[in-house]
Order: sequence, then C-alpha cells, then structure tokens
Amino acid sequence: MPNPILPPDRFPADHSSPLVSVSDVRVTFGETVALTGASFHLCKGEFVAVIGPNGAGKSTLLRAMLGLVPFTGQIGFSSQLGAKPLQRISYVPQQQSLDWSFPVTVWDVVMMGRIRHIGWLRRAAPTDTAAVSDALERAGVSDLRRRPIAALSGGQRQRVLLARMLARDCDLIFLDEPFTGVDAKTQDSILQLLERERISGKAILMVTHDLESARAWCSHILLVNRTVIAAGSPALVYTPANIEKTFSSARLEP
Amino acid sequence: MSLELILEPLRYEFFVRGLIGLSLIAVLCACVGTFVVLKGLSYIGDAMAHAVFPGIVASFIFKINYFVGGVAAAIITALSIGFVARRSGLKQDSAVGTVFVGMFALGVVLLSQTRTYSVDLAHLLVGEPLGISAGDIQTTLVLGSLALIALFALQKELVLVSFDETEARVIGLPVNALNTFTLILIALTVVLAIQVVGTILVVSFLVTSSSTARLLTTRVSAMMLWGSGIGVLCGVLGLYLSYFFGTPAGAMVVIVNTMVFVAVLLLRRTRSDPARV
Repeated sequence: MPNPILPPDRFPADHSSPLVSVSDVRVTFGETVALTGASFHLCKGEFVAVIGPNGAGKSTLLRAMLGLVPFTGQIGFSSQLGAKPLQRISYVPQQQSLDWSFPVTVWDVVMMGRIRHIGWLRRAAPTDTAAVSDALERAGVSDLRRRPIAALSGGQRQRVLLARMLARDCDLIFLDEPFTGVDAKTQDSILQLLERERISGKAILMVTHDLESARAWCSHILLVNRTVIAAGSPALVYTPANIEKTFSSARLEP
Repeated sequence: MSLELILEPLRYEFFVRGLIGLSLIAVLCACVGTFVVLKGLSYIGDAMAHAVFPGIVASFIFKINYFVGGVAAAIITALSIGFVARRSGLKQDSAVGTVFVGMFALGVVLLSQTRTYSVDLAHLLVGEPLGISAGDIQTTLVLGSLALIALFALQKELVLVSFDETEARVIGLPVNALNTFTLILIALTVVLAIQVVGTILVVSFLVTSSSTARLLTTRVSAMMLWGSGIGVLCGVLGLYLSYFFGTPAGAMVVIVNTMVFVAVLLLRRTRSDPARV
C-alpha cells in the first residue's frame, strides 16, 4: 500500500532529544512477567508501530508508559513536555474496553477530551466548543455529533475515539489496536489522519497486528514479545530472523 | 379521581409534609441514582443502607438527631469501602457483603437493647413518609441541596470516571477521590431516603426511577431530569394510594416506582433501545 501523503523519510524524526526514553522496564503481574528489559526511544515526528503476538506485553508497555501499571526500570520524559508529561499523552484505548451503551452522544464523548482544558467547576468555553467541532471534522464524524454512541458502527466508534484524542491536543498519541472492528476504508483514513498528526510534529505509538500497513505507514517498528526484540525502520526490523523470534516463540522466556 | 379526593388528604399537615419530603428525596435519589445505575453500584447502595443502621440506632440511644449518626456511619462506610477494596485481595462484592451486613447485625443487636424507641426504629426498617417532621424536611432540604450542588459541580468529571475510568486516570483526574466522593453522596442519599422508605426498600428508591429514565433517555442529564420527574410522580401517586387503601406508604411508593419501570420496559419501542447496540 503506497503512502498517499508523503513517505516517512521526507519528514525525518528529530532524534537529538527523545520525548520518551524507556529503559530496562519490567512489569510483573503476580508471578507472571509481562515485560522485562524493555528499552527504546520515542522521538518527535515518529510514527511507531508496536507489533507482537497476543499476550506479548504490547498493551502493558503502553500502560506502563501512561503510569497505569507499576513497573521497575526507567521511563524518562523530555523537559519539552513540561512539568506533567503524562498529561501530554493522549491515549486511544481498545474500543471493546468501553461501555458503548453508556447514555452519551458523540459530542459528549469528544468534549470529554477537553475536561482538563475546561478545568474544575467550569463549563465549556467557546474555544472548547470550537476544538470539539474541529476534532469531529478532522475525524470525519461531524454529521454524527448528536448521535447516541449506542447507535454507532465499529468504524464510527473508532473515529469518535480519535476525535476525542484530537480534541485533547497532546504531543504524544498512544493507540491500542485502533483497527479492531474497522473496515479497510476506515483503516486507511485513520492512518492518513495519524500521518497528518505525525507531520505536524506529534509522536505516535500504535499497538497493531497489521504488519503490512505498519510497513507502509509507520516510520519505525517495535517488535515486542515480553521484551523489545527489535526497533528501527521497517526495512531494518522486518527480517525473517526477527519476525521468527517475535512470533514463533509466543512463550519466549526472556 | 375527582378533585375532592385529591384535595381531601391535603387537609392533613402530615400528608403535605410527606409529599414534600418524598418529592425532595425522589429528586436527590434520581440524580445520585443515575450514577449508581451507570456505575453498577446498586449493591453498594444496599450495603450502605445496612451499614448506616447501627449509626442510626446509636443516635436514638444517645438521643441525638439520627441524621448525625447516620451520616457519620455513612461516611465511615464510604471510606472503608474504598479501603477494603484497595487492601483486600477479595473481590469488592464479597468484601462489601461481609463487612457491611455484619454492621447491620450490630444495628439489630443495638436495637434489641432499646425499649422506649422501638416503634420509631421500626419505621427505619420499612420507612414512614407520613412521619416526616418539619425538622426532617429542613435537614433534607439543606443536605440534599448541598449534595446536588456538589454533584452538578463535578458532573463532567464524574461522567468521565463512570464512562472511561482509564481515560480519567490518563488525563490526571483524582479518580480514587472522585469514587470516594460518589460513595459519600450515595451514603448521604441513603440516610436521607431511609426516613421515607426504610432500610429494606431504600435501594429500590435509589435506583428505580433512574433505571426507568435510563430506558427513555440517551444523555446523562436527561436521565437525571426524567428520573426526578418520574420519582416525584411515583412518590405522590404512591402516597395517595397508601392513604386511600390504608397500606404502608413507603412500600406503596416503591411498588408504584417498580410498576412504572416494568410498564416502560414493556411498552417502549425496542428498536430505539438506547441500551442495546
């Protein structure tokens, strides 16, 4: 699949100062080691696909970086991200993790992305309303704004979550399996949207199963199975040996 | 029903007080109950009703306003639910069931030691809207308004925590504090509602009108508004029915609420079902 916008190498990532440095991170759940010795950098202008088999610790890696699960090792954030770097990350969860029968409209969900901008005890200001409208527009769900979320298709749900992410307007974008329950056309437009975000200077980390679209669209690949097996450009990382090591040994003991 | 029939019981002050008290509490229950329904916390409401019982009995023994004992017990309960959930390896429902039904048993034992007040205390088990005093209404109005003001002030944060707790944590909201705050609101509402429907029926009063509204609406604020309207109407209707048939008022109100819920469930157009995808 050719990249219809611009190839990643036209906008080289800024490697001089990574936004996030993950170093020797280990996450355990009871006796189970979910992740160990995981290290990599995430830089401005990078679109990184996190690839690996089920249960390889991909989501756990994202959740550790978001401060949602306890870990040992270091996750360092650049001072460019300010005093509260975790709040500069916008997270798009797996859509199955949400209750889609919840009584809110598409507009309400996207407005949730503005809660910190609005602040405690306040109502949405015109800037927030404008940001929500703009996010709905960019995610291609403007016409659905009054619809209850219970009446959305899988692809529409994903676009609504992307709109909420856009409304938050963060420097880092983390996505967990954004192509689940989504048709090929929507997948393509999601990738275009993310590529535009990357070009505007965001750093993107996306958990996915789709090796081919990752090769076509992502600037970097992170192969994960209980640890980071390989990291770099798709051409560098997609070797038969690396793929073999990542996928054929789902029980890899690091 | 002729106008005379409607006006007749209004001659009695206790009936009017009952109507006012029930309506205030119905509105409070609908708004707080909305979050109970959306977060699936009905069993916590039930546990809370049991857990505050010893506090209320103790207030009678020490001759203080039972709101004081009830609210104190309720806040301790709300804080301990959070504590037990964080500390024990138990699933929350087991932890809650073990600890708080035990507290109810303590209340029953305390109750058996009081002879003079046992009639009043019997009301706490099944409720008595017609026994509401002017002082009770004042207390309900003040505490209920404070609870609702706090609820509306934090509404957008509470909705996010209910819908997507992970996102709430990611954007840095104090999720544990907001959850404890929700529990305290539920506790306060339960204490206020116990005077009209009693410990045993309070959960129904807390969640039924919000559940009915849940079937009819697609937005959280609409759910609170419709729940309030339904709750007030059911309260008024239930009180009149109990007056004419000589049946227990609290139970009558709960029955009307339940019947309206069932009617809505059966009559609504299932195609526009907001709860189904």
